[in-house]
Amino acid sequence: MSNNIAVKVDDLTVAYNYKPVLWDIDLEIPEGVLMAIVGPNGAGKSTLIKSILGILKPIAGSVEIFGMSYAKQRHLVAYVPQKGSVDWDFPTTALDVVMMGTYGSLGWIKRPGQKEKKEALEALEKVGMLAFKNRQISQLSGGQQQRIFLARALVQNASIYFMDEPFQGVDATTEIAIINILKELRKAGKTVIVVHHDLQTVPEYFDWVTFLNVKKIATGPVKDIFNDDNLTKTYGINYKVSIQE
Amino acid sequence: MDIAEYIRLVFSDYTLRTITLGTAILGAVTGMLGSFAVLRKQSLLGDAISHAALPGIAIAFLITGAKDSNILLLGALVSGLIGTFWIRGIISKTHLKSDTALGLILSLFFGFGMLLLTFIQKQPNANQAGLDKYLFGQAATLVESDVWMMTIVTGACLLVLLLFWKEFKILLFDADYTKTLGFNTKFIDILITTFIVLAIVLGLQTVGVVLMSAMLLAPAAAARQWTNSLGMMVFLAAIFGALSGVFGTAISATQNNLSTGPVIVIIAGIFVLFSFIFSPSRGLLFKQIRFIKNRRDLQLHKTLAFMFRIAETHENISHPHAIIILNNFQGFTKGTLQQLVRKNYVKLDGNMWSLTEEGFKTATNLYNQQNSNDE
Amino acid sequence: MMSNAQFEIQLIASLVAIACAIPGTFLVLRKMAMISDAISHSILPGIVIGFFITQDLNSPLLILLAALTGILTVVLVEYIQKTGLVKEDTAIGLVFPILFSIGVILIAKNANDVHLDVDAVLLGELAFAPFDRLIISGVDVGPKSLWVIGSILIVTIGLLIAFFKELKISTFDAGLAASLGFSPAIIHYGLMTISSITTVGAFDAVGAILVVALMIAPAATAYLLTNDLKRMLLYAIGFGVFSAISGYWLAHGLDASIAGSITTMLGLVFLLVYLFAPNKGVIAVLYREKQQRTEVSLLTFLLHLKNHSEESERHVNHLNEHINWQKVRSKTVLDLALKNNMIQFDKNIVSLTEKGQLFTTQAIDYIITNEDGKIEHMKDDFFLFRG
Repeated sequence: MSNNIAVKVDDLTVAYNYKPVLWDIDLEIPEGVLMAIVGPNGAGKSTLIKSILGILKPIAGSVEIFGMSYAKQRHLVAYVPQKGSVDWDFPTTALDVVMMGTYGSLGWIKRPGQKEKKEALEALEKVGMLAFKNRQISQLSGGQQQRIFLARALVQNASIYFMDEPFQGVDATTEIAIINILKELRKAGKTVIVVHHDLQTVPEYFDWVTFLNVKKIATGPVKDIFNDDNLTKTYGINYKVSIQE
Repeated sequence: MDIAEYIRLVFSDYTLRTITLGTAILGAVTGMLGSFAVLRKQSLLGDAISHAALPGIAIAFLITGAKDSNILLLGALVSGLIGTFWIRGIISKTHLKSDTALGLILSLFFGFGMLLLTFIQKQPNANQAGLDKYLFGQAATLVESDVWMMTIVTGACLLVLLLFWKEFKILLFDADYTKTLGFNTKFIDILITTFIVLAIVLGLQTVGVVLMSAMLLAPAAAARQWTNSLGMMVFLAAIFGALSGVFGTAISATQNNLSTGPVIVIIAGIFVLFSFIFSPSRGLLFKQIRFIKNRRDLQLHKTLAFMFRIAETHENISHPHAIIILNNFQGFTKGTLQQLVRKNYVKLDGNMWSLTEEGFKTATNLYNQQNSNDE
Repeated sequence: MMSNAQFEIQLIASLVAIACAIPGTFLVLRKMAMISDAISHSILPGIVIGFFITQDLNSPLLILLAALTGILTVVLVEYIQKTGLVKEDTAIGLVFPILFSIGVILIAKNANDVHLDVDAVLLGELAFAPFDRLIISGVDVGPKSLWVIGSILIVTIGLLIAFFKELKISTFDAGLAASLGFSPAIIHYGLMTISSITTVGAFDAVGAILVVALMIAPAATAYLLTNDLKRMLLYAIGFGVFSAISGYWLAHGLDASIAGSITTMLGLVFLLVYLFAPNKGVIAVLYREKQQRTEVSLLTFLLHLKNHSEESERHVNHLNEHINWQKVRSKTVLDLALKNNMIQFDKNIVSLTEKGQLFTTQAIDYIITNEDGKIEHMKDDFFLFRG
């Protein structure tokens, strides 16, 4: 882990229909961590990612990616949205969806060529979906769809990866496959930020964690701050998790 | 006029050729753009826009007093766009839902258009005859300049589609993701919407306000059933649309009293029906066949498994057993037994059956598979 | 002086408006407005076939047949949707133009036997309604359409009163309705049947498109003014009748289509309410959004002060630098906070007053426990001035 700050969020406030969803968030994410964002439903976890990525407009505050605005550093960032956010009956194949990851670097009008196709095939192989490259996306299982989304982000060849609940509705095999890829990314020095639901697996999967409930409760290394105190502050009830060593 | 004469006339008769060409091009362009409307879940927007265009036509006529179809189309375009953006305004600023907003704009604009049209008709000295063709469409009034107009718009539409193909595709599939990649999604969205409105407006003269939505949806809905590629879907939709135009014109020209619009819509509807039923991968017929076949296989497997468990207890797997003992088992029918014999899994000898070597092997495989699935 | 025919036309138009407003209210609330558009078009083949048999547009048998086509449309749309081949809205958009086309072709092919005009079906001709009279044993008892729509209206009102509770529960909470034993399917198809019958009964007077307008527009307009079902029904009826009568006189003045004029009046009423409705109108919404934008900014600002004890974060200039607001807005927010006695200045360093502390603590509690609604009441308690 280097000392660079990958993502810096400053006084970020986001309101949805003029109801505050995130309040005055200050957050610094160091480069090279594998971080979970945890918090109860409606705590603003997805909102935080979406406003960092410029999908939602905050009413106050600013976001910096490696010291510059997101618009300038877009090429360093990849995003895996929630699986349920798209229509899986869309007429397209697995390979096609993964190719979309190259669109950002291509810019307007230019079409993907052989080079982009090769990159997409490599990403498909990495997530173990090469055999399904010509499959219509609706004929894939939930876990396979999630892997396709991951491959699409891998193609972006970014430095920071944002993932919105990548383990939701996937089978155990896929969950292990995904977390292994995320750990590989961290090993390669990438920063990975994951909205996560399953508190039990936090110590096993992640090395960094942010507790969020409208306000930021705590952020830091899992071994230091993943404790009953912060969990209770975040979830509002007395919380006990047995942390597996 | 019979069909043979029609075919001869298409090549010799100027008017008929113009009309056929016009409906074909219109079908192609609405089919292409309809694919986008269907995939964006904006199928009913087409219906609302076509109705919302009516007052624009009337106002354009009232202002200019001209019947030049291009000016009327401009009026239709403006009023269609106003309707479209008002629908969005209602949805975003009030708690009325999209269906209510669509129904409101559709009926209110149309009613206002009717008020204007009837008002125009009562005016003396107005050469207003023919404005009502926009209600149900009259392909017969197409002239060469209309066809040119359609060709130009179709050409522009093709060009934009080719240029922004990648952007359209990614926006339709995943709008939020598109934003994170740095594309201006509002621009892409307005581009698609404007072309959809343009195609609808172009079609008003030919198929009319009421039936326009079918021209947009039917070719696309049919095309979706045959392919899993967006490019192929758009291409097929254009073909289906064009064919509906050509066949519709041919049939209405060879029959008395049949206006072109409804016939084109029915032809397009036949394409849809055919696709829904006979598409190999999604169609209802093959789905039903697959369902029946699966059920039959399941029955076969059940019987085989039952036999396997009996045969297992004997040293000689081909030891004959009485057919009667199968009666205890409900999955057994004469048909399944015959099938098993045909597949050479089982041998029959009078009232006795015995598993063959092959039958035993298949059953063992099935048994193992089932066990591993249960785990 | 109003002639007898004029009075009858307005009476028929008003009854149609009431008969449409009642099912229309439920269609709007159940997000099924476009189904009524589909029904209004697809009844055409039913009308034509009914006309072959009865030769009378006002015959009950024809109305029944056409209403059946309406239900057929609903069933067909639901079936296509269930196959998963296309989405629901595409299914609606496919079914009705095709059925309508079949109707048009049926008329064209039998032009000699059927004296039906597609224009009349779509647009209606209310002006002629008084001339087709119902004569019972030689006594003229009034226009036929009046009797048709009157009977439909009486049945609708009867059903509304009898099943008001069931309709209400199943519209607002389908799950609860099912658990109480009201079959959602029966209510659904019951409503569809009433809508179909009303559409058929009204089309010959006002045309199919106006039926759609009369069903959706008054209900949508009323929905912008109230959330109470009974009030919404009453308002919808009021708007419908008002537009029917004023639309008639508009048509009279312009010598234009009555149906078109009534729709135009409906449109004007909707436009006025859409713009000026006290709470849900566009102007009120825009004003409230502006106010709330400032108030949320104020909350943000107060929370920021609470979160940060370091002076550098509480310097006036910091507002612009870090919180990233435009100058204008930070000034508005500061002024508002001062006016409400939430903050105090100490040499350009801002800090919360006691009142500000209290307010912020309460607000954040409410937000974290997801009781955002209470913040509005808090604002009433704490704010002397709103944003």
